[in-house]
Amino acid sequence: MIAARRLGRRFGARWIFRGVEFELRKGDALALVGANGSGKSTLLRTLAGLLRPSEGEVTLPDGDARRTLGYGSVESQLYPHLTAAEHLQLGGDLRGIAPNIEALLAEVGLQSAADRFTGQFSTGMRARLKLALAIQAAPPILFLDEPGAGLDAGGRALVARLAVAQRERGVLILATNDPEERRLANLELALDA
Amino acid sequence: MNSPWTPDSAEGAGWRAEIRSVFRKELRTELRSRSGLLSALLFSVSTVVAISFAGYREPLPGSLAGGLLGAMLIFAASLALSRTFVVEEDQGTGDLLRLMARPHAVYWGKTLFNVAQMLLFGVAISALFLLFTGLEVMLPSLFALCLFGFCVSLAGAVTLSGALVAQAASRSVLAVVISLPLLLPLIVVAIAGFRVAFGEGTFGGWPAGFGLIGYAAASLAIGPPLFAEIWKE
Repeated sequence: MIAARRLGRRFGARWIFRGVEFELRKGDALALVGANGSGKSTLLRTLAGLLRPSEGEVTLPDGDARRTLGYGSVESQLYPHLTAAEHLQLGGDLRGIAPNIEALLAEVGLQSAADRFTGQFSTGMRARLKLALAIQAAPPILFLDEPGAGLDAGGRALVARLAVAQRERGVLILATNDPEERRLANLELALDA
Repeated sequence: MNSPWTPDSAEGAGWRAEIRSVFRKELRTELRSRSGLLSALLFSVSTVVAISFAGYREPLPGSLAGGLLGAMLIFAASLALSRTFVVEEDQGTGDLLRLMARPHAVYWGKTLFNVAQMLLFGVAISALFLLFTGLEVMLPSLFALCLFGFCVSLAGAVTLSGALVAQAASRSVLAVVISLPLLLPLIVVAIAGFRVAFGEGTFGGWPAGFGLIGYAAASLAIGPPLFAEIWKE
């Protein structure tokens, strides 16, 4: 479903990662592990098409990336002056799909916060809404960057549940150093700092 | 069993719906934060009041009035519109938008919002300017043409330069380098049009007005292909 061939990315003269190769099939979950600064997030962003590779290539499934790729990251932010429901409405409108606001908010445990501005959200609530946006299109490929960061025990259980659902639907790639999250994957790729 | 969020029938709602969504997001954000609106309003009102006091009982020559009005509109545009794309990178929402939207929808949604905002500023600032300075517009249709062309051109040019520099490391320097050649010819042509509309001379007013319309069309047309190239990097 997704493959990387001799993939490399550099900023200026410094290579962040180089020579990354893998191929994943439906049902696979790959954990990108490595020390801080080893390039896990950069690799994830490159695979998701947010950064152009400096060398090599990524092969993705056919179709519109807005609907075939989901991406949730601890680094990406939400619009502080939009509500949770407005975020999902925006996501649905831009992706050309039904927004499924109530079902998604219920899935991530935010149904009572639908009309609150995300600027008033806690870190954990923001992480849950980012997960909802990432899975909104039921993408065959889901990228999660440190998905458990800022989440309580219930939130971590949600991540585990979404990981199982995602492996039934397609492929999961997550960047993490959390031992619990590493267990969600059947494959690991270690990056050197 | 399908997941509760399995997407269904709304697939392919099209460009117009996507552009409308981006426009609505910009409108909601601006109405709730009022950051650009308030800074443009503060600048415009204080400048108009300062000019009216400085030129008390002294009639402004048409070319000077045109220059002052043009400068006020440029600063209002720079304050309110230039951050449209920059704010996405600064607040960390750029990735969210990149993953959900096609570049042309983002560009047009934001640009049309800026055009609407700039036309509103243009009418409000001109009305204040004429009220406080007591200037009379001798050719209202030429004045309206120049104001419309100048505001749309400004919105197009400032949005484009903001989009081009948003992801750059040396954003401020790059903004100056890109904006100066875009804005200088624009202000020169606008002054030529406003001068004649205020009754100073008769030569070159209408060509300037139509020149501004041409500039507006060009600034809107070159944006999307340039933006599509830089949006995902």
